[in-house]
Amino acid sequence: MDADDALTSERYNYPHFDDYIAAGGELADEARFRESFRIGTHATTFPLHRLNDGERIDLAALWTSKPLVMEFGSFT
Amino acid sequence: MFVYTNEAHPGEHVPHHDTWERKLANARLLRDEIGIRRPILVDDLTGTVHRAFGGMPNMTWVFDRGGLVIYKANWTSAANVEGFLERYRAGRESGSQRVAMSRYETEQIEFRRADPARFQRALERNGPRAVTEFDNARAIWERRGQ
Repeated sequence: MDADDALTSERYNYPHFDDYIAAGGELADEARFRESFRIGTHATTFPLHRLNDGERIDLAALWTSKPLVMEFGSFT
Repeated sequence: MFVYTNEAHPGEHVPHHDTWERKLANARLLRDEIGIRRPILVDDLTGTVHRAFGGMPNMTWVFDRGGLVIYKANWTSAANVEGFLERYRAGRESGSQRVAMSRYETEQIEFRRADPARFQRALERNGPRAVTEFDNARAIWERRGQ
């Protein structure tokens, strides 16, 4: 198990943004982004929950027949 | 579609996610306040999907059929995504045209129009602590020379 596998909900859902920055959290995220699925390769499918009805959706079901645009975000 | 993540700048009004129920409640609040009409998906409390794709707070990925990664940006620019999709579709559908097209891959740095006033309003929406902690973070970046 690498350090990322051991990421807890407390670390991922940090309560204080300045502590996250002081610990270099955003630099680690940028590095993880670069190393994650490369252009021209196939991404792994993952299960997600649809907010409106709670149904479990697999990413693979969304990119079966047409391109999929996936934006990530929160309030800010 | 839109994947709701952790709260990047938690505050008194929109706190960090300490439970699955809190994450769902914040996602519904965002949907209702912002009026997001796209399907919203939520991953687990530890952000398994968010982290697998890099964990950046407002990134965009585009996949072709079968999950082929054709676009990844560590920050979202709607104009850039739209422009890319137009070019990609035109290239992929060019097989029946006279002009031969060859696929290639690129990585490049782009610029997007920032909206500091809108961002500040979002921080204030999350709570005074979100504003203070972002100011603290800015001081850290200045010390680092970022």
